[in-house]
Amino acid sequence: MLASVDSCLLAGMEGRLVEVQADAANGDPHFFLVGLASASVKEARDRVRSAIRNSGMRFPQRRLTVNLAPPEMRKEGSCLDLPIAVAILLAHQGLKPPPRSAFLGELALDGTVRHVDGVLVAARWLRRRGYEQIFVPHADAGEAGFVDGIDVIPCLDLAGVMRHLTGVEPIPAVLTRPPDVEPLRSTEHDLAEVHGQEEARRALEIAAAGGHHVLMSGPPGAGKTMLARCLPGILPPLELGEALEVAQVRSLLGELPPGRPVDWVRPFRAPHHGISLAGLIGGGSGLANPGEISRSHHGVLFLDELAEFQSTVLQALRQPMEAGRVAITRSGGSVVYPARFTLVAATNPCPCGWAGDVRRACRCTPAAIDSYQRKLSGPLLDRIDLKVNVRRVPPALLASEPVGEASEPVRERVIAARRRQHERQGCLNAMLKPARLRAHASLEPSSRRTLERWADQQGLSARGFHRAWRVARTAADLDASERIDDRHVLEALGYRLHDAAA
Amino acid sequence: MPRPEVAGLRSRGRWPPPAGPRVALVGSRRPSPYGEAVAEQLGCHLAAAGVIVISGLALGIDAAAHRGALNGGGTTVAVMGTGVDLVYPAAHSRLAEDILASGGALVSQFADGTQPRRGNFPARNWTMAALSDAVVVVEAAEGSGALITAQAALELDREVLAVPGSIFSPLSVGAHGLIRDGAGLVQNARDVLAVLGVQLEVLDDPLKPPPGVGFEPARARDGLLIHLSEAMAVSVAELARKVRLPVAEVLGRLTSLELEGAVRRHAGGYVKALRRGGGRA
Repeated sequence: MLASVDSCLLAGMEGRLVEVQADAANGDPHFFLVGLASASVKEARDRVRSAIRNSGMRFPQRRLTVNLAPPEMRKEGSCLDLPIAVAILLAHQGLKPPPRSAFLGELALDGTVRHVDGVLVAARWLRRRGYEQIFVPHADAGEAGFVDGIDVIPCLDLAGVMRHLTGVEPIPAVLTRPPDVEPLRSTEHDLAEVHGQEEARRALEIAAAGGHHVLMSGPPGAGKTMLARCLPGILPPLELGEALEVAQVRSLLGELPPGRPVDWVRPFRAPHHGISLAGLIGGGSGLANPGEISRSHHGVLFLDELAEFQSTVLQALRQPMEAGRVAITRSGGSVVYPARFTLVAATNPCPCGWAGDVRRACRCTPAAIDSYQRKLSGPLLDRIDLKVNVRRVPPALLASEPVGEASEPVRERVIAARRRQHERQGCLNAMLKPARLRAHASLEPSSRRTLERWADQQGLSARGFHRAWRVARTAADLDASERIDDRHVLEALGYRLHDAAA
Repeated sequence: MPRPEVAGLRSRGRWPPPAGPRVALVGSRRPSPYGEAVAEQLGCHLAAAGVIVISGLALGIDAAAHRGALNGGGTTVAVMGTGVDLVYPAAHSRLAEDILASGGALVSQFADGTQPRRGNFPARNWTMAALSDAVVVVEAAEGSGALITAQAALELDREVLAVPGSIFSPLSVGAHGLIRDGAGLVQNARDVLAVLGVQLEVLDDPLKPPPGVGFEPARARDGLLIHLSEAMAVSVAELARKVRLPVAEVLGRLTSLELEGAVRRHAGGYVKALRRGGGRA
C-alpha cells in the first residue's frame, strides 16, 4: 500500500515542498528512509517508531520504504516527523490524506506533537500554493491562525491526528482571524523622560518622518542609547502586513511568544559591537539564519560605538540598506531575508570620548582622532542622512523635571508627514533617488540658491547635496508644506555629516 | 640679557638666526578657534616687530604661530622633536619648506633620522625654552607639554607669559595657572615686547599689522551671536534653550550665519568665527 503526504521545509522566507511517500510492502520487517535526509531527519526513524508504539498503535511489521521527494533536495530539521508517521500509518491502513493538505511537526517519543520553528511562514507559503488544510503542532496553531484562507488543524498528539484522519473524532479547525489591531501601548521609553537634547530629539523626529538613518556623536553618558530607544515609540505602529512580516522572522527563529504572536510595536535591536558578520547579516551552516538586520525589519537597528564594530561587518550593511533585504548563500543554498530598518548609529567623538566636552579635556592625540574618524567615514556614512551632536546634559537640568514633549504628539506629526510622502511619491523621502528628488521635491528658487551657495562655498559633494535636499524635503513635510523653503534647507544643512565625509 | 647659545644643534636653513629677541609661542595641539587665532595673531605681530618666533612645528598652536610669523614677514624657527631631516607631522612638510624659504630654520638636538618618540618631546621643550628669551603659553590644558616648556623657562631664568581664556575652558586651565603663579598676562604683542624691553627700531608702529593679517570678531546682525563666544562651543540645544526658540529654527539660523562666515562649528557646537581682517584676506 502506498500513501503520500505533503509537508514543507523552509528556505528563508520561502517554502520548499516535500512529498513524503510511504510504501508498506510484504516482506521482512524493515524501515528504509531515503531521499537525501540529513542526520537530523534520519533520526526521525527512531522517533517515529517510538511515537507510533507509544500512541497505542502497532508499528507495522512490514517492509516500509519512506521516500522524501524531491530526492535532490537536502532535508534538515525535525518538522518531517509528523508527516512521516502519518504517511506510514495511512499506507498501512490503505487510506489517503485529505486533499490539498500538509503536515508539519516534530514528534516526542510519547507521540506528542511538538513545536517547530517557522509555522507562520510555512502556513502563508502553503496558502499561496493552494493548500486548504494544514496540520500543525498545537503550540503553533495560534500563529498559523493569522493566515486566512487555510484551515489550521491543531495537533496535540499523533493518536489524535489519526483519529481525525480516520473520521473517528475530528479536530475542529482553529478559527482563522487577522490579529486585532491594538491601540498602541505606551512604549517603554518615552521622549518625555529625556532631559534637554532638543537637537537630537528634532533629528529623531525627522528620521522617523522621512525614514532617514541617523548618526549621533557625543561623549559617554550623554544619553545616546536612551534617545535611540525612543525612536520606535515615535514611529507609526506596524501595519498588518508589516506586523506579519516581523512575526515571520520571529517565527523562523522560534521566538514568537505563543500568547501574543503578533506585536504592533516596532522592533528595536541593539547588537553589541563584538557581533560577527553572520550575527548581523545572517548566517550559519547549511541554510543561513536571519541576522540582526532582519530581526530589526520594519524597526530600528541601533549600533552603539559604531567605530568599534569590525569594518567588514559595517561594510556588509551597505547592500541591505540599499535593497531593504539581504541575500545570503551558504552550502545549503541561497536565502533572502527582509531587512528594511532604520539605522541609528552612535559614536564617541574620539577614542577617549571626551573631545569637545566642556568639563573634561580629551587626551587623544590628533592622529588617534583622525584614524578613529576615518574608520567612520566612507560608504556606510554615505547612506546616513542625518548627523547630530549629543552633549552631556548639565546636572542642574537633570535634577529638574523634564519639560520636553512626550512621544505621542511627535508620533502624530510623524504619521502625518509620512502620509504626505506616500500620497505624493509612494515611498519615504529617504528612498528618493536624485531623479525622483527632482520630480517630487522641487526647490524654491531661493532655497536652491542657498543649497548651491553652500555647496560652492563648503565644497559639498554631490552626495552631501542630495542628502541635504532629502532632509529638507522631510523638514517641509513635517511643516505640512509642499514648498521647500529656505529655512528647511538651512535646517537640513545643519544635520550634515563631518565635512570630511560629506 | 645674556643668553648663551645652545650648542650641538643640527639645523637646516639659516642658523643661527639674525640677532634679535626670541619668543617661543607654545600651546595645545588641538586648540580652540580662539587659541589658534591668538597664536596666529601674536606670531604675526611679534614677527613684524622683528622678534624671532620660535615654536615646535606641531599641530595646533605651534603651526598657527609659525604661520602667523610667516604672514608677518618675519623669521621663525622650528625646534623639532625628530631629526631635522624628518618633518613630523608629515602634513607640515609644506610649512617647514615655507619656514626655510623665508629665511628661518629647522633645528633639532636629535640625530638625523630620529623618529618621533614620546620621550623626545619633553627634552625638545627644554631646548625651545633655552633658545628663547621668553615663552608665551597660549592655550594649554592641564598636563600639556607647553607647561613643560614654561617650567623649563622658569628654571633657565627666561620670562614666562600666558594668554588668558575662558574660565570654563579646559584648554585655558594651564595658562591661568601660570598667571596665578606670576606669569605675565598677554593681551597683545605689545605686552610681550614690553617684558622683553625691546627697543623698537625696526618698525614705526609694530602693532599695525601688514594688510591681510590679524583677526577681528565676526560682524553679523543675528541676535543669536550675543550668546556665542570665540573660545567655547555652545550646542544648538543649549542655545535654543537660552533664546526659547525651536531647535529647528535655531539650527537654520546658525547654518545661515555659518554661510556668512560669522560662526563655525567646533567640538559638537558652534563658536563665533574670528574673521581675518584687512584687505588681502
